[in-house]
Amino acid sequence: MFSKIPSESPARRRPPSWLWSSITGRLTLLYTLSASAMVVIFASLLYWLLAHNLDRLTEQFLTAEMHDLQRILQERPDDRRVIEAEVNYEGVDEQFPAYYARILDEGGQTQIESHQMSKVIGSSVFPPPGAVGQSLGPIKKWRAGDGKLYQMAAMWVGVGRSGGQRRLVQLAMDVSQEGAVVADFRRKLIAVSILGIGVSAGVGVTVARWGMRPLSEIRKATQRIRPTQLYERIGSGHWPQELTTLATAFDEMLGRLEDSFTQLSRFSADLAHELRTPINNLMGEAEVALSKTRTTEEYRRVIESNLEEMGRLSRLIDSLLFLARAENPETKIGLTRLDARKAVDAVREFHSAVAQEQGVEVVCEGAGEVSADPTLFRQAISNLLSNALQYTPRGGRVTICVVKPDHECVEVTVDDTGSGIEPNHLPRIFDRFYRADQSRSQYPHGSGLGLAIVKSIMSLHGGEATIASVVGKGTTVRLRFPSAARSANITES
Amino acid sequence: MRILIAEDEPKTATYLRKGVSESGYVVDCAGNGEDALHLALTGEYDLLILDVMLPGRDGWAVLAELRKHGKQTPVLFLTARDSVHDRVKGLQLGADDYLVKPFAFSELLARIRSVLRRGPMRHPEVLRIADMEIDLLRRKVSRGGMRIDLTTKEFDLLSLMARRAGEALSRTLIAEQVWDMNFDSGTNIVDVAVRRLRMKVDDPFEKKLVRTIRGVGYVLEDTQ
Repeated sequence: MFSKIPSESPARRRPPSWLWSSITGRLTLLYTLSASAMVVIFASLLYWLLAHNLDRLTEQFLTAEMHDLQRILQERPDDRRVIEAEVNYEGVDEQFPAYYARILDEGGQTQIESHQMSKVIGSSVFPPPGAVGQSLGPIKKWRAGDGKLYQMAAMWVGVGRSGGQRRLVQLAMDVSQEGAVVADFRRKLIAVSILGIGVSAGVGVTVARWGMRPLSEIRKATQRIRPTQLYERIGSGHWPQELTTLATAFDEMLGRLEDSFTQLSRFSADLAHELRTPINNLMGEAEVALSKTRTTEEYRRVIESNLEEMGRLSRLIDSLLFLARAENPETKIGLTRLDARKAVDAVREFHSAVAQEQGVEVVCEGAGEVSADPTLFRQAISNLLSNALQYTPRGGRVTICVVKPDHECVEVTVDDTGSGIEPNHLPRIFDRFYRADQSRSQYPHGSGLGLAIVKSIMSLHGGEATIASVVGKGTTVRLRFPSAARSANITES
Repeated sequence: MRILIAEDEPKTATYLRKGVSESGYVVDCAGNGEDALHLALTGEYDLLILDVMLPGRDGWAVLAELRKHGKQTPVLFLTARDSVHDRVKGLQLGADDYLVKPFAFSELLARIRSVLRRGPMRHPEVLRIADMEIDLLRRKVSRGGMRIDLTTKEFDLLSLMARRAGEALSRTLIAEQVWDMNFDSGTNIVDVAVRRLRMKVDDPFEKKLVRTIRGVGYVLEDTQ
């Protein structure tokens, strides 16, 4: 009847690192990375702008100087005094104290140069000169032996208005100070960037923690809930939008848990009660029998009575085991294509003697095929029919009907003209040990598990059992089975 | 007929030994798997009744070891575990039957008899119990020459009881054999059916053949 399907252990991927395994860690990491990228990009941009601008200023100055010398050489090539003044003039300027100029003839002989220039910069270190008429040759940066940094350029310049002769003009600027400024700026930028990254990491942690705080509050709220306080709820009012759904889902889960928990504890209490009665009988009868000497016949009667009680206990255990197994999600049943009408007729036949004695007519109608376990199917119908017979007075009628409302399912209804059930009992009527009528002596054969077993059988089949009742008119129980056509992989019976 | 019972629970062992030997068998008992295996290998038994959960060596291991030594003694398992898996395992190992605790003692006796029954059963056409005659082929019953009319199921019930005359039949077994209802119906259907049968085959006659055994079931026998 039952078999188990092997359980699969869910394969879980290991988190890549401890930092990545926590959401706070991830947020911090991502925040820090993006903030660091911003700081680095911004600092690089600043640095580049400064360095570039300084270079351009020097270049502009060199270009202007070259232009001046060019004009002087063209217009007054023989006025050595003016040229000398020009070569040295800027050199004594406060603003540009490190300006050097040199004029060479076509043979490479120095004609004139700034003070001390030959000691500092030789003529050979200059970049290749620009041609006559161009603005300036390529600018070169050169570090001298004493560590000073120079920016330099050279250019051929025509002499006189005719421009027949050429002179090579070499210009150089000591940019050591600018270099030092730039280097200093770079150091400070790096320091500020590192600091910025550190601060952003710290801010990242704080922001992430702050953002995640509702989560830890939810955790605290859930930790408060104990089996004894399953009625507590996390509530959905004051949580951020993202967590509201979580809190609601959690509350719903709590609701379901509370229901099952209540049901379970009620079940335990009911079970204890059910066990107590037969055990009480067993103990009492045995004790009374042993209290004085009895005849053999009396002993026999006690043992027989005990046997009956123990049979009751044994059947109770069987039913409970059945329910426990049916509840196990790993349990599955062997489905067979089954002629529902034939099975229903067989069950009617089984109950026919009792029905006749009670003067209740049992009628079967309809036809259909279901995919079901034959024994379980019959047991379900049998339980329902025996209930119906118990509650239907003499002259009444029980109708078992097989109908096919659609392609999806086949329904078996058991309809009686009995006393009916009060509406307040209906929601719990399928619960274990639940009895609408609390006086069990009226129905000595019921264990209170009949309908619970029917419900379990239906869920094992992937179907459902529903009940409708009108007091004084009768009760209808409807079993909904998946139709034989819909279920694949079933064997022909 | 010698039967070896391997059962570690003392109360169970005691009542099994008592009940089985009172039914006409010679009984030996073993309290653990090792003893059971030793006895089974050295002694000549017609049947072993093995509890599955035995200390030392469980029932399955005893059976497997026994078969490895070429002993084909029939084995009947007793167990409190009744999952399909357990059943299949027992039967695959070569057990002859499988009984789940708690069981009715009458049921155990019936299983013992059926395992020990060697060769094909004789199927007589006519059963006679006291002055009752049951013609199984023509499905006719008479008592003291008087014809008794029975419904199909009433006849099935009577012939079941007659074929196993003297054996106490439980309600579950009767429901299974007569109506093919292999579950505990929790009802008094069998009682009603037996009562109606009695009205026809016993009430009009002085000698009563159907007897109720309280807490067990029903038996059909000719009490001299």
